[in-house]
Amino acid sequence: MSGKIRALPWKGLLGVWTTLVIVLSLALPMVARPEHWYEFPIVPGLEDKARIIFFHVPTAWLSVLAFVSSMVYGIRYLRRKDLHDDVRSASAAGLGLLFCLLATVTGAIWAKFSWGAFWNWDPRQTSIFVLLLIYGAYFALRSAVEVEEKRATLAAVYSVIAGVVMPFFMFVIPRVLESLHPEPLLNLEGSAGSIPVPKLQMNTTMLAVFLASLAGFTGVYYWMWTLRVRAGTVELRRATEGEDRD
Amino acid sequence: MTEFLAANPLYIVLGIVLVIWFAIVGYLMRLERRIHDLEQSNTR
Amino acid sequence: MTPHPAAARPSWIRSALSVFRKDWQSELRTRYAVSALLMFVLTTIAIVLFALGTEGAPAHALAGMLWVVIFFSGMSGLARTFVTEEERGTAMTLQLTASPSAVYTGKLLFNLVLVYAVNAVAVLLFFFFIQGFEVRTASIFLVTLFLGSTGLAVMSTLIAAIIAKANTKGTLFPVLSFPLLLPLLLAVINATRLSAEGAFFTEALGEFQVLISYIGAVLTVSYLVFDYVWKD
Repeated sequence: MSGKIRALPWKGLLGVWTTLVIVLSLALPMVARPEHWYEFPIVPGLEDKARIIFFHVPTAWLSVLAFVSSMVYGIRYLRRKDLHDDVRSASAAGLGLLFCLLATVTGAIWAKFSWGAFWNWDPRQTSIFVLLLIYGAYFALRSAVEVEEKRATLAAVYSVIAGVVMPFFMFVIPRVLESLHPEPLLNLEGSAGSIPVPKLQMNTTMLAVFLASLAGFTGVYYWMWTLRVRAGTVELRRATEGEDRD
Repeated sequence: MTEFLAANPLYIVLGIVLVIWFAIVGYLMRLERRIHDLEQSNTR
Repeated sequence: MTPHPAAARPSWIRSALSVFRKDWQSELRTRYAVSALLMFVLTTIAIVLFALGTEGAPAHALAGMLWVVIFFSGMSGLARTFVTEEERGTAMTLQLTASPSAVYTGKLLFNLVLVYAVNAVAVLLFFFFIQGFEVRTASIFLVTLFLGSTGLAVMSTLIAAIIAKANTKGTLFPVLSFPLLLPLLLAVINATRLSAEGAFFTEALGEFQVLISYIGAVLTVSYLVFDYVWKD
């Protein structure tokens, strides 16, 4: 009986919510001067292509959230040595990698729309790329250690080091890259320094759909994360049961 | 309908995205069911 | 016949220095790390020379190139201090005889000496052989070199400890190190470029701030976290 009946309602609602968000973000008309509540303002230079922001920013946000979550559970593992914490940490990291890939790709598409080139080395693109490298390194490390406890420990330690180093990116990258590489053309929204959110003129409707998308994606992330954790827990239980039987 | 779609290609994008999205949801629900079964079979 | 506690536990610093001296003497005897690193530096500079041909490259590109060479030399040599312990089977003995902080400090000292020496050679070679590599503000350049090398050693020592416990040590080391070394590399390349352009010392202060705080942060984390990595 456990989770199935209790759980389905929130997941069902989540599914409906996100479907609605998708439809609204793509179907609501873009008008030069929005008069009705259901209209978006036109973004100069981008028009309809600006809608990708409803998908791009949530994926970037989630890749960071997943990283922090992975790090927090990693620290917990270091304290309690409970492999269940490691399952949570690794599950978060796996999803973080997925969302980071999506963010990099949607970001490149956005860059193509805004600035004409898929890759620009502007602060935001570089930061998301570095995050991708960190995730890749994390999984390379995990796959290189066979003993579970050691794997969990080393992975947790690496995520802590990465977490400490990340803030330096926030300070170094904007300044350095802007001096090394010229501003990309048509930088309409501005890079907003290190914050991975492009600035757009949003009216209330657009903002509402944007926030709804953020919430929806976060919910989907959470659902996927619980699924992975449950699968990992079953695996752990099987492993320990196998040992007990021996 | 084809003229409408040709004039508003955004709806084609919407259609594709929805198809992908429903496929993802279907996959997640399948996972949900299988994990539930695994959890039941484990706690005998 | 249990030894007196005070006699059995030398002070933390003396432990660290002993670890350093052990690695240092072992290195003097075999010269594995130093020769490998020097050969690496020589070959990379030779390749750079071939690639540049007679044209040379703009000063800021050469500044970046210098740090590329330094970074990869580091990757080829700085993991050695931990990996050899695992390979020779002496890791457990070391665990028993010295505290984690002492081991870390000793290994860090060793890597620092190695890095300073190799980087000095690399820089000298760059000046002699590569046309167009010039430094107009020596003070910026020297401070950058010092801070950059220190940061490289500090981060590499910690990552080396991590990969020594893993399987595919060789390729894993640069993979783990690069993303974490990026802030350092970016700051250092920028500062070197400034020194090549003849900027005032104060213009590079921003980069120095970043470098110093980076080193401080990584050092702190290393001491906190090394225990978990080192103990089995």
